[in-house]
Amino acid sequence: MAANAVSHASGVSRAPKSKSPLRLSIERFFHSPLAVAGLVMLVAIVFVTVFAPLFTHFSPSQPDIMNTDSPPTALHPLGTDGSGYDNLARVLYGGRVDLTVAFCAAMMTMVIGTLYGGVSGFFGGFIDTLMMRFVDVMLNFPFISLVLIVEAVFNTSSEWVLILIVGITAWPGPARLIRGVFLQLREQDYVVGARTVGCGNWRIILRHMLPNAMSFIIVLVSFQVAAYVGLDAALSYLGLGVPPNVASWGGILNTSTGYMSLRTEPYAWVPPAVMIVLTILSVNFIGDGLRDAFDPQTRT
Amino acid sequence: MATYIIRRLLGLIPTLFVITVIVFLLMHAMPGNAFEALVFNPRLKNAAAIYNRLVQENGLNQSLPVQYFDWIKNLLQGNLGISYSLNMPVSELIATYLPNTLLLAVTAEIIILVVSIPIGLYQARNVNGPFDVLSSFIAVLFYSIPGFVFALLLIYLLSFTFNLLPSSGTVTPGVPWSGDFADRVSHLLLPALALSLPGLAYYTRLTRGNSLQVIVADFVRTARAKGLRGPRILFRHVLRNAVIPIIAQFGLDLGGLFSGAVILEQIFTWPGMGELSINANLNRDYPLILGTTLLFAITVLIGNLLADILLAFADPRIRYD
Repeated sequence: MAANAVSHASGVSRAPKSKSPLRLSIERFFHSPLAVAGLVMLVAIVFVTVFAPLFTHFSPSQPDIMNTDSPPTALHPLGTDGSGYDNLARVLYGGRVDLTVAFCAAMMTMVIGTLYGGVSGFFGGFIDTLMMRFVDVMLNFPFISLVLIVEAVFNTSSEWVLILIVGITAWPGPARLIRGVFLQLREQDYVVGARTVGCGNWRIILRHMLPNAMSFIIVLVSFQVAAYVGLDAALSYLGLGVPPNVASWGGILNTSTGYMSLRTEPYAWVPPAVMIVLTILSVNFIGDGLRDAFDPQTRT
Repeated sequence: MATYIIRRLLGLIPTLFVITVIVFLLMHAMPGNAFEALVFNPRLKNAAAIYNRLVQENGLNQSLPVQYFDWIKNLLQGNLGISYSLNMPVSELIATYLPNTLLLAVTAEIIILVVSIPIGLYQARNVNGPFDVLSSFIAVLFYSIPGFVFALLLIYLLSFTFNLLPSSGTVTPGVPWSGDFADRVSHLLLPALALSLPGLAYYTRLTRGNSLQVIVADFVRTARAKGLRGPRILFRHVLRNAVIPIIAQFGLDLGGLFSGAVILEQIFTWPGMGELSINANLNRDYPLILGTTLLFAITVLIGNLLADILLAFADPRIRYD
């Protein structure tokens, strides 16, 4: 529209400005109702966790010792746990840990996976064979055993250790997928062109191939995030989540699902469970929307 | 086929070697060892001497390569060593705990396949019909619910609210019918459901997508033109071709199901490999850590091998020679 107005004003007749592929993808994304719903839901979840102090005046680390194990009251809308921590505050602040873990872990696996898969796919041949053999080994590595051992080696548990553990253990899957993309890209004319002009290997990988693999990588990131939202909760059941004094969805689920409280205090464990499911659901919707937006042909 | 399987089995050995070396190194990087706790027993007058003797007897004072090759040597003789913390042969412990985990994982796999394939096929037949839309939505929802959340919901609803199924353990203690078939099945049902529901949603999507691609193929139209009945076309012509990617996925997921079972085993207090391997790590029980890791790795590898073999049966065009 703006382009048309300008061309009219200057009196030069021109075809309407064509839209860039990125712009088209963004438009397609926002035309998908589920993707937009997912985005709105995720923004809402991030908002209530980041601005948690707006929604509760209790601190997630200050127990209200006069009201331990309280059912929902006007003071504590979701009740308190056995130590007097306010459940609502723990749910709101706890999201920060789970979202940080999910997002940073996904980023870390993707950075490692992209570099590894990119190098392997770009060079091909002997290097590729060798690097992919190692990926095969790592893919067969029992994840839980590795988590247990790495956690014991660090001898501490915090969200950053969790992220590091995921980064160390989960990169082979994305690496293999990205290697496939790079193998395809390698045969493209512009890569041959770049090499002819005399670009170095790293310049070709980072400046020419990576931007073209980016849409694929972004979609992969979204599904990785979905996979790691529940990770802290799952590991909490093995006693490997974040420490108990740090509020996290997984931590609340773990402490409030003992035999008695699971039965009598659904107000304590249902909210974090719902938050985990809603986050995964919204990220999955966004991921589906991104996939369709970047590559309309794969639409099912 | 036999030579292919043998070649693949031999091909597993280098992978297992690398995995056990990594676990071995990491395991020794964990602080402390299994015998250090002993020193703090006040009734022991000569704690240090006992500690030294135990360390020496179990070869922990030797260099890491020597320890590793001792373990390999014993392994080749079928000896996985004796657990430090439980004082029983590792092979015996695994033989006790493995059947429980296998039972859980296999039941979950059966539930997944038996339920998801018919649903997916039916969705593909009436694509965009009300059933398809509704069940696709439920599938996306289920796919986004982690197994342990399912576990909590199932326990809360089926066990506590409606009192239909027991929530923990493998048998009901203290009753005459303890441990009979119905008792075991009722205990198995909840954990197996929790383990299978997320996968169920995924496999339904997979079956639907694959069937949709096959259902428009020429040979399906030919079958219909010949006058074959609907179900026969669906199961003999469509499914036979749509099932191939599902089988490939199935083998890859077998190992994941084992890992997923570890967490659910904790929630349902199911005495399986999860409990064994977690305690092994917490107690620095080196032989047990190596034994359980080896077993987990073998499960994943066998799953992959099984997928390849099943693929050849499902699709005669695939040949391994």
